[in-house]
Amino acid sequence: MIKDITIGQYFPFNSVIHRLDPRTKLLFTIVFIVMVFVSNNFVSLLFNFVIATVIINLSKIPLKTVIKGLKPILLVVIITSVLQIAYVKTGITLIDVWKIKITSGGVLTAVFMAIRISLLIVMSTMLTYTTSPTSLTNGLDKLFAPLTKIGIDFHMVTMIMTIALRFIPTLIEEVDKIMSAQKSRGASFDQGNLIKRAKALIPLFIPLLFNSIRRAYELANAMTCRCYNGGKGKTTMNALKFNSGDYISYLVMLLFITAIILLNIFCGEYNAEFTFNLAV
Amino acid sequence: MSIIEFKNITFRYESDDEGVVLAPAVKDFSLNINEGDFMAILGHNGSGKSTLAKLSNGLLLPESGTVLVDGMDTKNEDDDIKIKQTVGVVFQNPDNQIVATIVEEDVAFGPENLGIEPTEIRRRVDESLKIVGMYKYKKHEPHKLSGGQKQRVAIAGIIAMEPRCIILDEPTAMLDPEGRRDVMKAIKRLNRELGITVVYITHYMEEACEANRIVVMDDSRLLMDGTPKEVFSDTDKIRNIGLDVPQTCQLAKMLKNDGIKLKNDLLSIDELVENIDELLKGH
Repeated sequence: MIKDITIGQYFPFNSVIHRLDPRTKLLFTIVFIVMVFVSNNFVSLLFNFVIATVIINLSKIPLKTVIKGLKPILLVVIITSVLQIAYVKTGITLIDVWKIKITSGGVLTAVFMAIRISLLIVMSTMLTYTTSPTSLTNGLDKLFAPLTKIGIDFHMVTMIMTIALRFIPTLIEEVDKIMSAQKSRGASFDQGNLIKRAKALIPLFIPLLFNSIRRAYELANAMTCRCYNGGKGKTTMNALKFNSGDYISYLVMLLFITAIILLNIFCGEYNAEFTFNLAV
Repeated sequence: MSIIEFKNITFRYESDDEGVVLAPAVKDFSLNINEGDFMAILGHNGSGKSTLAKLSNGLLLPESGTVLVDGMDTKNEDDDIKIKQTVGVVFQNPDNQIVATIVEEDVAFGPENLGIEPTEIRRRVDESLKIVGMYKYKKHEPHKLSGGQKQRVAIAGIIAMEPRCIILDEPTAMLDPEGRRDVMKAIKRLNRELGITVVYITHYMEEACEANRIVVMDDSRLLMDGTPKEVFSDTDKIRNIGLDVPQTCQLAKMLKNDGIKLKNDLLSIDELVENIDELLKGH
């Protein structure tokens, strides 16, 4: 059950998107997120949608998987939409029963927000789907390396990320082991009310914490033995290198930004009433 | 030429409780480890063997006495990286030694820290993985490997730094027999084919027999030092400190006690069988 954790889930296909430099993908994701937020009308949003579809197609990741990735945030999307419908009262009144009043503006804003959130999630998951955790941390390391000059040691952050990723499966295994050990001595983790269940977790977390600290000591020793000194003068075996795909991506990125800005200006700010009238 | 010299070292751990002084973990210990040696260190729990491993490359510093690695004092911080590059240590639990999420990237960790050129790192990583027989797993995730495989990856991670001496602190203690055999095979290759000095700390007598020199520690001190045949011929002394002797030695001893005139230095099953055979033919 716990083994199904999908943090940093990665699909090792061989596609144009997979072969891109992690820095390019990181930057593209950031640009995309900003563009989704900047988009102020349905046409701009549609353009974002098209870009996302093209990328998904290029990555060879099955559409089904991408849509599945949206499941965990379905609730968030629904709640946001309901809130929009409840609070936005512009446009034509569609339903007005008792205290419930639904307007065209509310519905359209809800749709707009739902698409926006879905696009954000899809593109962020696409980053982890197409980039292995190690190359992602490598990318982050390189991307933020200039921060060292202003005194922020970003290498430390990426090292922590790498170790966290490395130890997630180990700790999950350990949780399983401790659980079995405690169960064999009569502990139960799935009975009783919420408080009882929470209490039952104490004998699980204390040994886990204790063992993790011991692990940390041993790992520190092992790292010291391998001449780790905080990343000073460190080289990388798989040095990151931009290739033609990356240059094309940056060109696409520029065109993308320009297109969204132009669309925002020419299609005007998103206006619920106007759009609704247009649709009718 | 000795690669590591322990000169009258004493070391004690600090107690968690204030004012309590613990008994030394290593007491007035002297030993020379020669270049090219395959040395086994035996001793029961708490005899100071693991402490010795950590003292040998500066992870711990002695309270008194000196540890010299290729002539460099471990107390000298300027030589720290050089010392750790010369003497690599592999620990008991492979899970707690692997840093990266991909096998080959983990092996590259040491050379990367040393600031070696990427092409050279690639060569070393491939070579190290081939030596321990893990080359075909180079793109795997460590947590999907067996214990023995993980331990061999950890060993490859040390070899990739091209040390002259490797200290292994009970590397097979947590492994199944198959994993233990594979790890042992890899270690023997290191010593015989690459000429790397190996110091092998273990509980298993059968593994210690593979060494060309055995050091027995008891109660923080050096008790015995000699070839496997010399050390194991004194079965009583070994058993007195709570260690086992290899089964062949034990059998030979029992036969001798019953008046059968066997040789004194029988170690392998073959030697024992041969000796018994000779005696039978003589009758």
